[in-house]
Amino acid sequence: MWLIEAVIARHDAGLTTDSERVAMEEERAAAAVASGVPPAGAGGAEASRVTAGATTMKVVAAVDAGEESLRALSWALDHVVRQNPGASVVVVHAQHRAEHFVYPVAAHGLAYAPPMAVDSMKKTQEENARRVVSRALEVCAQRQVTAKAAVVEGDPKEAICQAVEDMHADLLVLGSRGLGMIKRALLGSVSDYLAHHASCPVLIVKPPKAHAKGTGSST
Amino acid sequence: MAETNAAPAPAAAAAEEEDCSSRKMVVVVGVDDSDHSYSALEWAVRHVAAAADAELVVVHGKPSASSVVTFGSPGAGDVVRFVEADLRKRAEDVVDKARRLCIANSVHGLIEVIEDEPRYVLCNAVEKHGADLLVVGSHGYGAIKRAFLGSVSDYCTHHALCSVMIVKQNKPKK
Repeated sequence: MWLIEAVIARHDAGLTTDSERVAMEEERAAAAVASGVPPAGAGGAEASRVTAGATTMKVVAAVDAGEESLRALSWALDHVVRQNPGASVVVVHAQHRAEHFVYPVAAHGLAYAPPMAVDSMKKTQEENARRVVSRALEVCAQRQVTAKAAVVEGDPKEAICQAVEDMHADLLVLGSRGLGMIKRALLGSVSDYLAHHASCPVLIVKPPKAHAKGTGSST
Repeated sequence: MAETNAAPAPAAAAAEEEDCSSRKMVVVVGVDDSDHSYSALEWAVRHVAAAADAELVVVHGKPSASSVVTFGSPGAGDVVRFVEADLRKRAEDVVDKARRLCIANSVHGLIEVIEDEPRYVLCNAVEKHGADLLVVGSHGYGAIKRAFLGSVSDYCTHHALCSVMIVKQNKPKK
């Protein structure tokens, strides 16, 4: 896994989610404690802190080359991350490994691709990854959210699941359908897997439908 | 299915439907008497409290006695009465807990109890209130249990019309 650090904008804010969480655990105590959440100013540039996750919300968003994941990312930024100004966002893109690229030869044979082909595959992959990730980072930048990017290799479901654990994420953001868009399916296989197996809360963002009133036709 | 509106909090402002982007965000939370759904409620309350321009709707799907007791055994009539009373008490407890949590966080929420299967209750509530976000807990069942016991969060993730937030108990961080 290699990290492309792109710190776009610093976001100063004092509102920490930790104070709210602690207050709620003592709900039987003064309600005033919980309701008054003054911008404590204790936050500041906490986005760079990778450990803890106790004071800031760490959001991981999975993106791929399709549009839906970007839309999911922007929805999540607008509706969820906005409420937590100290949140840090990591944009994750998962790719299959390019190394063992084999192709069938004649009727019964398999041949390992010559090194040059593997190299060019790798380059194309890196190029794709970079493009996907930079689009996502742009979306974050437009909303003045500090974001980092990571590209992970392997089977997307498991790789993202692992990444979420490694990063101690507080929230995982997914689109509901991915590259293998099947019209009838309301939930893609990666999103489905992650909804059950991720070790943190999962937000599955669905495309808006002319707000739901009577648009009965299934997509 | 009987529908009982339990204690809509004052000034809960039935959804103001303006179609421009200044429309309030509506968050529906599904609760039952389990811990994980309580965490989901906490998350939603925290989020709504922070947002300050969002509405919270707490929905509880109360199981009916007939779904729990099978008829055909002698004395079934009496059992139903007890079961019904117990279920009603549990539903009240759930509502009570939810209301206390809302009050403690100064969040005005509408609390509804509807007698039907939770999965349908939640998806219908999403449609009825024009929700933007549905928050549910996750019991963390494995695949086999899910297949047999059914999973509300699974159903909602697939069928709800809006974005779905599945809140899990965070595994202890190392």
